[in-house]
Amino acid sequence: MEFLQYFGGVFEPLSFALLVFGTIGGLILGATPGLSPTMAVALLIPFTFQLQPTQGLILLGAAYTATVAGGAVSAILLKIPGAPANIATALDGHEMAKAGQGAKALHVSFLASGVGGIIGVFLLIFLTPVLAKWALAFGPSHLFWMAILGVTIIGSLDSKSFVKGLLSGCLGFWLSMIGYDDIQGAQRFIFTDALTGGVNVITALIGIFAIPQVIDMFAKGRQPMSVSAITIEKQSLGDSLKLLFQNIKALSIGTVIGSIVGLIPGVGGQIAGLVSYDQSKKFSKHREKYGTGHPEGVIAAESANNAMVGPSLVPLLTLSIPGSPTAAVLLGGLLIHGIFPGSDLFENHPQVAWTFINSMLIGQVLMVIFGIWIAGYAARVAQVPTAIMASCVTVLAVFGAYSVQQSMGDVYIMATLGIAMFFLEKFGFSAAPLVLGLILGPIAESNFIQGSMIANAMDGPAAYFLFGPLNLFLIALVFASIAYSFLMSRRQSAVSLSEPSSEVGGAQ
Amino acid sequence: MKLKVFGAAIALSVLALGSSVANAADYPERPISVMVSYGAGGATDFQARIVTMMAGGEDFLTQPIVIINKPGAGGRVGWNWFATEAENDGYTLGAYNIPHFVAQSIEGGVKYSADSFEPIANWGSDPAVVVVGKDSEYNTIGELVDFAKANPGKVTLSGAGLYVGHHIAALQMEKATGAKMAYIPTKGGGAAAMKAVIAGDVIAGINNLSDAYRAREAGNVKILAVADLERNEQFLPDVPTFMEAGYEVDNSSVNFRGLMVPKGTDPAIIDMLAEKVPAMFEHARVKKQMDAGGSPLKIMTRAEVQKMWADREVYLTELLAGLK
Amino acid sequence: MNVTHNTSRAQHVFPALCVLLLSATVAYLSFTREPADAFLFPRLVSVVMLALAVWNFIRAAKGLSKVGSGISLSVLGRILPGLVVLCVYVFFAAKYLGFYLASFITFFLLFSLYDPASHTNARSWMKRIGVSVFFMLVIYALFTLLLKVQTPRGIYM
Repeated sequence: MEFLQYFGGVFEPLSFALLVFGTIGGLILGATPGLSPTMAVALLIPFTFQLQPTQGLILLGAAYTATVAGGAVSAILLKIPGAPANIATALDGHEMAKAGQGAKALHVSFLASGVGGIIGVFLLIFLTPVLAKWALAFGPSHLFWMAILGVTIIGSLDSKSFVKGLLSGCLGFWLSMIGYDDIQGAQRFIFTDALTGGVNVITALIGIFAIPQVIDMFAKGRQPMSVSAITIEKQSLGDSLKLLFQNIKALSIGTVIGSIVGLIPGVGGQIAGLVSYDQSKKFSKHREKYGTGHPEGVIAAESANNAMVGPSLVPLLTLSIPGSPTAAVLLGGLLIHGIFPGSDLFENHPQVAWTFINSMLIGQVLMVIFGIWIAGYAARVAQVPTAIMASCVTVLAVFGAYSVQQSMGDVYIMATLGIAMFFLEKFGFSAAPLVLGLILGPIAESNFIQGSMIANAMDGPAAYFLFGPLNLFLIALVFASIAYSFLMSRRQSAVSLSEPSSEVGGAQ
Repeated sequence: MKLKVFGAAIALSVLALGSSVANAADYPERPISVMVSYGAGGATDFQARIVTMMAGGEDFLTQPIVIINKPGAGGRVGWNWFATEAENDGYTLGAYNIPHFVAQSIEGGVKYSADSFEPIANWGSDPAVVVVGKDSEYNTIGELVDFAKANPGKVTLSGAGLYVGHHIAALQMEKATGAKMAYIPTKGGGAAAMKAVIAGDVIAGINNLSDAYRAREAGNVKILAVADLERNEQFLPDVPTFMEAGYEVDNSSVNFRGLMVPKGTDPAIIDMLAEKVPAMFEHARVKKQMDAGGSPLKIMTRAEVQKMWADREVYLTELLAGLK
Repeated sequence: MNVTHNTSRAQHVFPALCVLLLSATVAYLSFTREPADAFLFPRLVSVVMLALAVWNFIRAAKGLSKVGSGISLSVLGRILPGLVVLCVYVFFAAKYLGFYLASFITFFLLFSLYDPASHTNARSWMKRIGVSVFFMLVIYALFTLLLKVQTPRGIYM
């Protein structure tokens, strides 16, 4: 209970002001298309130059927490996921917003984020020494199997056709290989100069999700206001809380998966949201409602991506190994202040370490309060006339894609992928599996190549990739996941065959 | 009417955004970006952030410096962009890493060479060191090399990528000792290479002195040798050089970091930067923070860097030809 | 998924063919480019992708798996002006006119094209300009002032 002694530090006037500033700033930055938590934290580092280390960390910790949750705002309202973590949130959240339930979606998203986030930070507080060993247990072979495990959910994720889902995933894999290959330095599939840097995930996210949205708005033509008018449902906090606790199963699945995935260095938060969305769908009684504006989907995704925050810092704080891109930036922020994370951090600078952790705890609470507060207003975005909305999203997408790496090439890639995705979507291909392929491709490839190199120096690839308890456990999970998807698609096709009304519907 | 209003709106926005006409006398009138071709949180990135943090001061550039990361393929992605796309208006600076970009341009397949860039000033030099996990059975470089000689190809060595300082150090080490080893380039740069050592994925690793120093302070690794001409008295006085251990590995893998601009930048702007930037690197606060991170400062002026680039180019061409 | 599908078989064959051609190209490139080591993974993926694309094409040719709503000519007609503006903006104007001028013009054009309000009334034109200027100011505050992003200035800004 050592951390309790250091709560005082969080409530000093300047520290608390920074905490509030970091939270509000983080929500705004997180909601801006193109600004992932990683970039938002990097952008805030210069602000910490003038501060004491502890205060600087409070600012960064609060901002990290809030940007992860803030990404849900643009995912729900504009269908532009701020970061890979929010992709799954967009799937159901945006459908809810389109139906006028934006406030409800935002409420449950922030509440689920808060619950997941607080549990995640508690894991960081109480289990750090145990978890640090667990995080290190994942070598290249295990990360490779983790990526394959991720691949197995591609077919079942937000797709009406199994073949087209897998094909979308393959397209994503291929896109991830464009550019210089990271290990050999060879040039692959570089057809034009813009592709030299490869396809950045954030850029691709903006294009693939935002641009088809915009074109769909074009497709509505000059629609009179009366047709597109949406009544925004009011949502009381009490109802939202009730809704959250009715979906305790999705909340628990999200939190557990988020915490576990967050711990694994290199996989981290990117896939936590999608994996838990998929799992919660598999365990749900209302599988068919996923993707149509079902609050369960939002809860599972958002609780997972905030639960990931605390555990993802375990390897950083104990071993000085950044487990995620954002943790790497935080490490830079710490080093600039002359603090080295590592086993001696908690002994030599307990003040710094615990104040930072506590600030994330309080930050979660503040994030929920401010999030709920803005939800009612933010939901009105759905009422903005289609023409203005289309123009806003277009310009935001271009600015967002450019600011990822300040590169025109990224803007071209964003628009090209976006326009292609619009047409592909019209013929049953889907965005989520494609993005998952894009994220998992590099993880699978680099760990496979690296693992093979290490294996060749040791006992050969078979022994390296196939043996050892953790490998076997992960391989078993891969097979279980494939078997489950297969059974489900069989059962589904059996159901749809027995219902004549749906024979023109789903593919299988 | 329509046209008038339209014109007025444009005039208004011109007013709001300020004039965009730039010339050397007013330089700099807006924030300056520095492109770093490695990821946020890596050694080059955080050092660049430290050494540029005083840029906004009255005595220096009077405008803040913003870091942009363009990571990928050991730096190739960022430097390609810098050579081909970056504007040469003085508002886009880049961080260079020697020997990385020179070695890559010699190897080919990239769109830059030492002639594509104009150096401004150097801020640091970071030698490559050999690290092993804290529980490793090897306590000296001799023990590791002996094992490698007895078991050719069995020693796995992690490093940040191909044709970066770490890889050159590994090639030199293999050549000098005659022992065959397996160099494993990692995707996530120095941090990922260090993780592989700490987690025991590989037997040993080559990493930056600054990162290794911090990892040793945290109690995670042992440092066996440093690939430089002299010991680093400031941070690692107890670690021998390769030469002292009896292996002919010199300082050609030492990682020099500094700032540059694209070719074709206004000479007046280059002169102004070349004068102000080294002074900015020498600020007491920069020194304090660099020391705290275990990062050796080595400030060199534009003329010194030009000479160093030219020397390295000749030297690396020979070295890489000989190592194949 | 009880969407009624009035789209023709040909409409689904065409995209399946496109994806099949893309997969074949990727496979061809993966197996012909060097160094082989760097193309090991692309080869594995492209084989799987090609197999899936063939399967998908056969299904489409048989008229199975008509998922998705397809595209009708009237929809195409409505999206075309917007698409043209979008492409000119992204691939040409943003870089050569400068981000702010190009974005302002694009915003204004898209808004005007798809705004249901009258195209002859001066007041609605004023409103369109007002909204566009306001939005660009918000963008300026967010990206240039707060985030210090240096956008391409082109010939204007």
